[in-house]
Amino acid sequence: MASVAAWLPFARAAAIGWVPIATHPLPPPPIPKDRRKSEDEKLLINVSGRRFETWRNTLEKYPDTLLGSNEREFFYDEDSGEYFFDRDPDIFRHILNYYRTGKLHYPKHECLTSYDEELAFFGILPDVIGDCCYEDYRDRKRENAERLMDDKLSDNDNQSLPQLTDLRQKMWRAFENPHTSTSALVFYYVTGFFIAVSVMANVVETVPCGHRPGRAGTLPCGERYKIVFFCLDTACVMIFTAEYLLRLFAAPDRCKFVRSVMSIIDVVAILPYYIGLGITDNDDVSGAFVTLRVFRVFRIFKFSRHSQGLRILGYTLKSCASELGFLVFSLAMAIIIFATVMFYAEKNETETNFTSIPAAFWYTIVTMTTLGYGDMVPGTIAGKIVGGVCSLSGVLVIALPVPVIVSNFSRIYHQNQRADKRKAQRKARLARIRIAKASSGAAFVSKKKAAEARLAAQESGIELDEGSREEDIFELQHHHLLRCLEKTTCPEYPYASHPCVQDREFVELDNPYNGAPKRPGSPSPLASPAHSSHSRAGLLQACCGRCCPQRYQQACGKYIPATSAVQSNQTGVGMDGTYLVEASF
Amino acid sequence: MATPPDSPIEEVVYELEPTRLPKPIPVALDDLCRQTKFTRQEIRVMYRGFKTECPEGVVHEECFKDIYAKFFPHGNSAVYAHYVFKAFDVNCNGAISFRDLLVTLSTLLRGSVYERLRWTFRLYDSNGDGCISRAELADIVAAVHELMGRRAHHHAEDERVARDQVDRVFRKLDLNQDGVITIEEFMESCLKDEVITRSLQMFDAPL
Repeated sequence: MASVAAWLPFARAAAIGWVPIATHPLPPPPIPKDRRKSEDEKLLINVSGRRFETWRNTLEKYPDTLLGSNEREFFYDEDSGEYFFDRDPDIFRHILNYYRTGKLHYPKHECLTSYDEELAFFGILPDVIGDCCYEDYRDRKRENAERLMDDKLSDNDNQSLPQLTDLRQKMWRAFENPHTSTSALVFYYVTGFFIAVSVMANVVETVPCGHRPGRAGTLPCGERYKIVFFCLDTACVMIFTAEYLLRLFAAPDRCKFVRSVMSIIDVVAILPYYIGLGITDNDDVSGAFVTLRVFRVFRIFKFSRHSQGLRILGYTLKSCASELGFLVFSLAMAIIIFATVMFYAEKNETETNFTSIPAAFWYTIVTMTTLGYGDMVPGTIAGKIVGGVCSLSGVLVIALPVPVIVSNFSRIYHQNQRADKRKAQRKARLARIRIAKASSGAAFVSKKKAAEARLAAQESGIELDEGSREEDIFELQHHHLLRCLEKTTCPEYPYASHPCVQDREFVELDNPYNGAPKRPGSPSPLASPAHSSHSRAGLLQACCGRCCPQRYQQACGKYIPATSAVQSNQTGVGMDGTYLVEASF
Repeated sequence: MATPPDSPIEEVVYELEPTRLPKPIPVALDDLCRQTKFTRQEIRVMYRGFKTECPEGVVHEECFKDIYAKFFPHGNSAVYAHYVFKAFDVNCNGAISFRDLLVTLSTLLRGSVYERLRWTFRLYDSNGDGCISRAELADIVAAVHELMGRRAHHHAEDERVARDQVDRVFRKLDLNQDGVITIEEFMESCLKDEVITRSLQMFDAPL
């Protein structure tokens, strides 16, 4: 509302028009107590060194944000008379523009998360982003969210490894991810092998090898070596049946599994065998039996569990269903049109192949797909013209939806590639980060020891040769806090051999102070060799430096020079050993 | 390739819009100070707000209606804003410049009762024929009621109230009962009415 505060006099003037028709006398206007409100003042905002100036009224346009409310007083710097924010000045520019113009824009070159953080800091909801930039913002936000979700899902998959104890769950996981255990991998390769064997057997069965005894014609291998092929088929079907039953047993949701495509393919692959067992070599139904054998070729689709590319192809075809449907529909339309025209053009030709419109369909299809077998050829001139037009239009109709399908496939394929690459990169990156964190954690621990050593030295009156150096008050307080924690949890007067002390060492090295736990059994972080060999001694006097000065004395000489290599900015102390919290904190 | 005339998808060609009006003559602060009764600081503050909302230097009716709507969020202020815009637009060219705005505001907020009443007469007389008919008054009253917003279930009652109001006001203002209100009748009857004169003086307060 304050954005149009300057127009208020105008609105009040327009209200004069209400006076003659008013039913009651109008109330008197408010009298401002002081004139300060009408005078505007400029505020200076310093964001990481870049100074912005604006009117107070501009900021107070949006009183539910940080700058518009008195929350900004927390950031007021009395000495310089300005509001100081230690934030990104480039993004702040956009935020200030929001106050000035009422529209919040999203800069495309900025990272979405950093922008969101700034908005959250200044109390502005992302919903007020203007229409010009909102779509872009939303799209990028969705991409980010999807990516995070992918990563989280893959993380969950990886992390759920050690937690499954149920046999069913283990089996299901083994079926779905063959790389999780060796037995799963074995199973995977065995089934793959048998699928290949079964398909090859089907193919080889029909190859002619030798002559029929006493009759003309060749004998297919299937009939010559009937027993062999029958045994092979039986073995394959047994393996497939076992696999199907195992999958059915392990599936978390059996109904959903039974309805899924892969399980239907499995069933269709093994059913002909069982039906064939039931039917004897009867001539009546052997025709039907032969037809059933065709379904054995579906076994080849079982390979899609083994190949990701096949799965992607299937997924692409599914997602391009509308384009494929369009292709089929337009082809059908064109075929009917051209076949009709062709039929009527060639109708009166003698000895023509185009005996009916359906007969002309075959010619149209062959011509439109530019196959041109030549088994049906038009004779009349009109027919030839129609044939020419047909082949030209065929090329066009087929070429139209193909790029869409191809681009869909390419997109999905690359998405998959990117997901795998991202996973691998993430693993490597996390490993590196873990190492860096561990070493910084070790550095912190050693600094802490050094500080305690110095403190103990002061208390027992030993002089240090390092000169006087200043220490950061925050670090001192942090160390003090950790020592309080040690004192709280360590139950008795600590001796070197007390398990509490030794455990403490283990705990400290394994959990760097920034919280990321290491796996037990992995080697120590990349600390300096001197540190690792003296850390034991160091910890001893961390607890007992003050209690057993003599222990410290003998360890001190070894300890201090070693760790001084690790610390770079420690200074000698000039304090009296008390850790009072300073008011400046 | 030109699009065929009956293609299902129309090609949209964006042309750069030509500037709507010639650039208005920039106003000088001193001139305005002399012509109106506002102080320099007041003019400055108002100009800053004006320029923020209308960077071009003139207010068009749509912009005017938007600004007015911000003051009356509950009702429909478009009708009344239209009347006010017409009353402010002295040279009837569809745009109000800052000078016009300030001059009118000066008469309204710092002028005499006569000037205010004269402006109100012009506001009510929408067709500018010099007299207010009953229909024009009814329009104004309806517009002011629209500012309040419509209540969902009391439509008929609201209309009755408005009609009563129109009758009452018209009877009061039309001294010779001839069905129209001339400016002399308007001024006379308003000045005689104490309520109206006192209400008009409310607007004397400083900005």
